[in-house]
Amino acid sequence: MAEPGPVAGGGARRVVVIVAASVALVVIAVLAFSIGRLSTLGDPTPGNSSAEAGFARDMQVHHQQGVELAMIVRDATDDPDVRLLAYDIATTQAQQSGQMYGWLRVWGLPQAGPEPSMTWMTRPALDGSSHAGHSGAAADGAAHVPGEPMPGLATPAQVVELRALTGVEAEVLFLELMIAHHQGAIEMADAVLERSTNGVVVPFAESVALSQQSEIDLMEDMLAERR
Amino acid sequence: MSATPPVQPSAKKPTVKQQRAEERARKLEAYRKKEAQAKRNRRIGIGAAIVGVVVVAGVIISSIVLTPQPVSYNAGSEGTQVDGVQTFQNAAGHVEGAVDYAQTPPAGGEHNPAWLNCGVYTEQVPNENAVHSLEHGAVWITYDPSISDDELSALRSMLPSTYTILSPYDGLPSPIVVSAWNSQLQVDSADDERIAAFIEEYWQSQNVPEPGALCTGAIDGPGKVS
Repeated sequence: MAEPGPVAGGGARRVVVIVAASVALVVIAVLAFSIGRLSTLGDPTPGNSSAEAGFARDMQVHHQQGVELAMIVRDATDDPDVRLLAYDIATTQAQQSGQMYGWLRVWGLPQAGPEPSMTWMTRPALDGSSHAGHSGAAADGAAHVPGEPMPGLATPAQVVELRALTGVEAEVLFLELMIAHHQGAIEMADAVLERSTNGVVVPFAESVALSQQSEIDLMEDMLAERR
Repeated sequence: MSATPPVQPSAKKPTVKQQRAEERARKLEAYRKKEAQAKRNRRIGIGAAIVGVVVVAGVIISSIVLTPQPVSYNAGSEGTQVDGVQTFQNAAGHVEGAVDYAQTPPAGGEHNPAWLNCGVYTEQVPNENAVHSLEHGAVWITYDPSISDDELSALRSMLPSTYTILSPYDGLPSPIVVSAWNSQLQVDSADDERIAAFIEEYWQSQNVPEPGALCTGAIDGPGKVS
């Protein structure tokens, strides 16, 4: 009668230890998983209606027209400076367009947006200000209506006009259109910078704003030489 | 050793009975103390366990609630299921001259080296060029010339500004046919919600032979309005 007692007690203790260890293991595993998930909160994957996704879609459209305009003027003139500038713009903007296409792929988002273009620019910035409120530009030009043409985009008629010109005339119209085009791109880049902390989008938008501003300065000089 | 006299037992030396009663009281006191301590320890243990469970549950729940759910949409693969979409396997070579296409309107196949610039057309566009645009990720919306102006403007308003071709087409199997590379959807009217779903799924798809290739800078067809 004395024998089973201690044996049963030792067995029960062992069971308790095993159960406690298993519970501890599961708790640690679940905690580690949860903390890992929470650590992604710092740089979350942008959603379908996010400023990042809207920027990636709309800036692709914007850049694609940059490529189109640059390729038109490259065929329309033999001026080496304009042709080199056009080559630079076309290859850079095509490459950047591909980057943004890739972001949407990596984020698991469709290329086609769920809402009209530029809707993201009408939403409040991270600091809470609305776009129309902070912009130094004229209020009518800054307030975006979702679905309206993007800032700086050349109209179809202007593209047709550029295609019809050659030589210096083509160069002048190209420079005018591309200066406005770049200004619009900077406006879009600034808009996403006010709305995003994403680790890929922010440096990209910063470099777009910087490089296109320096190209605007160059193009204004080139335009002055041709007028 | 020393001469210290032994302590004199108290004059009122407790009786054995009293001694036992004291002993009992002392033991009882000690037992109660131990009991109280055990009770307190148990309370602390239970409290700590509850706090621990709440913290663990809180971390788990907040990690599920706070972190964004993985996007279930997967562009161009087994993502959106659009009812009624037909899919095909077409060749993709470049050829000169007219091509006999397996579908009407064509949703892929051999095509002209020049793609058709995307945009809105009021006249029928050449198949051989339009198919090349599909290869670049464009969506081609063809409509029977008999559809109403309201239908036509409704179609125009729902299209993305790039990578789409809108054009009339004689002899369609339904009033409106939406085509992308190797995929096609027949609908009866512009307010069919599947058109938007088709565009979401197939517009600028990465599953075309040349994703990212442009839909501008090549040739315009007849009747291009924008």
